[in-house]
Amino acid sequence: MGCRIGEGMKMRVCVLFMEGTNCEDETRRAFEQIGLEAELVHLKQLTGDVIPELRRNLGDYSVLMIPGGWSAGDYVRAGAIFAARIKSKLREDIKDFIEDGKLVLGVCNGFQVLTELGLLPAFEGISETPEAALTNNANGRFQCRPVYLKHTGKCRFTEKIGEDNVLQIPVAHAEGRFTFGENDEKYLEKLIENEQIVFRYCRADGSDALGEFPWNPNGSLYDIAGICNPEKNVLGMMPHPERVVDGIQQADWTRKKKGRGDGRIFFESIRECLKRGF
Amino acid sequence: MPEPYRKILDNVYEIDLLEADDSDFERISKEKSLGLSLEELKKIRDYFKRERRNPTDVELEAFAQSWSEHCCYKSSKPILKRTVFTIKAPQNICVIAEDAGVVDFNKEYAYVVALESHNHPSALDPYGGAATGIGGILRDVVCMGAQPIALIDPLFFGPLNYKEKLPKGTKHPQYLFKGVVSGIADYGNRVGIPTIAGMVEFHESYISNCLVNVGCIGIIRKDEVVHSRVGNVGDVYIMAGGKTGRDGIHGVSFASAELGEESEKKDIPAVQLGYAIMKEPLMHACLEANKKKLLTGMKDFGGGGLSCVSSEMAYAGNKGAVIELDNVPLKQEGMAPWEIWVSESQERMMMSVRPENVKKVLKIFEFWDVPATVVGRADDTKRIKAVYKGKTVLDLDLDFLLKGVVYDRPAKYVARDEADPGFKMPDLEDTALRMLNSPRVGSRESIIRRYDHEVRGNTILKPMQGKINHQTHGDAAVIKPLVDSFQGLAITADVNPIFCKQDPYWGAASAVDEAVRNLVSVNSRPHSMADCLNFGNPEKEDRMADLIKACEGLYFAANAFETPFVSGNVSLYNEGVKGPIAPTPTLLGIGIVKDVRKTVSSDLKETGNILYLVGKTGQEMGGSEYYRMLGLKGGLVPRVYPEKTKKSMNCILKAMDKKLVRSCHDLSTGGLLVAAAEMAFGGDLGVELDISEGNMRTDYKLFSESNGRWLIEVRKKDAERFESVVDAKKIGRTTKDGKLKIKDGKIDLELPLEELRDKWDAALEKE
Repeated sequence: MGCRIGEGMKMRVCVLFMEGTNCEDETRRAFEQIGLEAELVHLKQLTGDVIPELRRNLGDYSVLMIPGGWSAGDYVRAGAIFAARIKSKLREDIKDFIEDGKLVLGVCNGFQVLTELGLLPAFEGISETPEAALTNNANGRFQCRPVYLKHTGKCRFTEKIGEDNVLQIPVAHAEGRFTFGENDEKYLEKLIENEQIVFRYCRADGSDALGEFPWNPNGSLYDIAGICNPEKNVLGMMPHPERVVDGIQQADWTRKKKGRGDGRIFFESIRECLKRGF
Repeated sequence: MPEPYRKILDNVYEIDLLEADDSDFERISKEKSLGLSLEELKKIRDYFKRERRNPTDVELEAFAQSWSEHCCYKSSKPILKRTVFTIKAPQNICVIAEDAGVVDFNKEYAYVVALESHNHPSALDPYGGAATGIGGILRDVVCMGAQPIALIDPLFFGPLNYKEKLPKGTKHPQYLFKGVVSGIADYGNRVGIPTIAGMVEFHESYISNCLVNVGCIGIIRKDEVVHSRVGNVGDVYIMAGGKTGRDGIHGVSFASAELGEESEKKDIPAVQLGYAIMKEPLMHACLEANKKKLLTGMKDFGGGGLSCVSSEMAYAGNKGAVIELDNVPLKQEGMAPWEIWVSESQERMMMSVRPENVKKVLKIFEFWDVPATVVGRADDTKRIKAVYKGKTVLDLDLDFLLKGVVYDRPAKYVARDEADPGFKMPDLEDTALRMLNSPRVGSRESIIRRYDHEVRGNTILKPMQGKINHQTHGDAAVIKPLVDSFQGLAITADVNPIFCKQDPYWGAASAVDEAVRNLVSVNSRPHSMADCLNFGNPEKEDRMADLIKACEGLYFAANAFETPFVSGNVSLYNEGVKGPIAPTPTLLGIGIVKDVRKTVSSDLKETGNILYLVGKTGQEMGGSEYYRMLGLKGGLVPRVYPEKTKKSMNCILKAMDKKLVRSCHDLSTGGLLVAAAEMAFGGDLGVELDISEGNMRTDYKLFSESNGRWLIEVRKKDAERFESVVDAKKIGRTTKDGKLKIKDGKIDLELPLEELRDKWDAALEKE
């Protein structure tokens, strides 16, 4: 795939939000902390439903980031309304963006939106209908807790994170159980084969969570916490790296020597990916 | 009796007060659910005599709002003025007077504090009541122009396993508990403000009247504080957010009366409906308009709806106002003017704006897709008017309307039995296990994890602390509100209603002491407090006396600790069939953390460290969980010794700044045993204690809830330095054998921590 990021183009991040998105501020801050320019952009600004000076063009950015929250309240399936609004007006723009090899990232509600949009897992390219779902946590409850993640496969964003590295990053969601429904077995194989699984929930020592609560906080298939598309430039994950950029944001920092937050390397990895221009 | 109502418009009536006799007054108050007393109606009649006319129904409704206990604090004002309002402190910027208190944070910034009750709505509709409680408290902070940064939820229910027959119209505590927690989670998580602290208490007296208190902290640049008053004559009133509907009608009178059998049918319209996804952009838009200096005043729609917000803003600005009721966007057609005037529909804000800025403000709201409408204008009349279909349907003198009524109600204190019962010491191992399994002591994790406590990324010390998946209760949470400063705010919620029931004075004082202890435990200096005073019917002398005693106790302790009350709320008429709720003066304590990187958590850190006990343990067992569990009555409630505790506090903070403290936990419900166990849980370590010193019985030593005490972990190599700073008793050490061992002379206890943890985890509901 040809890469068109690079010379002459600013490495800007579009942090996209709509009513109910609520992690946009700390997400922008996380990008800025590692030296990337990030702009908060309301969905209306991309669809053109605002006065001319507020309009933005997706093509002007290098990264599209959909942060966490409860877009439109998530009173129906999480992420469904955000996805429907994007689909109705921005479908072509996003397709071009991805085909240009630019980066699309969804965290928590953002992962739910990318799945609803058919951008993930996107086995045969962007799918018309969702192929997977992030459904109710196995214990039926919202969970806000730190979890351990194993970096099991590289995507373009995460190359700086060593293979099998374990990160401690929090989750906060009610609907995070990744599943293919009745096709679990068949599609999981495909996901593994394509090396699309990027993060899996694990125990503190990196050993498998084996679906066991609370290591796997939601009962996700194969302990899946984050996946990418086959081309490796679209990533969705439930845990929130933007909440642990600094050491003192980690849940157990008072027990450790001071250091950086485990989320920082994630954002640094994005920065390096952009610098490399792949 | 002649018909007292005369139609003057399609749905506006004139009410004949001038010719009314006592039975007419009674009939009117009852038919219109005004909640006004005979005396109050007569006072209103005399006013209209001076105005030489009869009131409209809209006007009478305005009095019902502004003269309700909820709005004008008519029963509590005299005692509040004598006690909690009088603590002076240099950190106060704008306190008590408005919807939230504004307190000094650093040179440039202030923090904002609000605490309120949403008790009666939650007793009828736990999910909706709790959700709209959060909505309301967020608006209180936003209307000062501040960005909300934390939510706090102190909750009080009847026993979850209550098996006896419930009073008619009362919902089971389990149902209320589940509904309230879900309401907080669903609303709080959606609006994106972290819920970082709170408490859950259980007592039989809350069976028919649960308490849902909600608190919020915000942060604001000092030069951006906006007040709840109109700025200038000619300023335009803009109302923004949700539409006005028939939900939340008579919310304040409903909050100012006892719940009864018929409440379910009668009062359900008083409960508002929440919509978090309107609140979220509404907050953005209001804060943006304020940041751009486009507002001269802002206030939220709370109790009393449009009536209170428009009158109070005009009055506070020493102006008058005219409101056009036809311009108010409605949810339902055909709403009568009085309904529009008093509806407490949620997610609404009122702003006053100079005429030349109106377009700019409306544009901001348009961007956020939040409806905003011009509904009125400020004038210099010192009267509030409402116009409907070209006719003035309300025209009242603001001073008369808002000065309201004040009562110095009679009080008679009923003394409690303070004699200690004689009893044989029970089996301690069994008692320890029962103690950790008590719903008042056990793990709150299953609730805490349902609230997003780290959205916004600024929660430095979370409510659960320790080794991952072994976490324990923390004493306070810590927020770092500013990007470019390591200064933080520690936040805790405290009250022990069992103490307060046995002794409202020392119970209330103990709540202050506990808040102070919790704030110190994480290395913060106690800075301010907010109080939510939940009590029974003030028209009954014994309830009134408890309220007075509690206020005096709060004043005594908070004044001595130099922590001013900067905001608060009074919720009276909390009664069940068997009497009033336990007096519940809920406190929200806020501390300043000099450097969040020096915050201390409650979980044990390493084996081989020394454990110190700070403070004196006394045989003060009144209101203790130990007595309650054993079914014992009587006893002295722990006293508060502010001078001694302040000295300990200063020493501990000094030791923490020198990094001599590895972990710290205060001793409260369940005493030393519970504190030691909780610290051990969080570190996944063992503990050995030797408490042989002193000749009190072992059970008192272990379970006394005396104030002013902390358990502190220190590295061996730092022991000498620590002892030179803090006056503390060495009482044990940390181990790795997974046991809690206690030695008291000849008594040797050995408790497996895994078993204790299982009991503790299962006390409420396991995750």
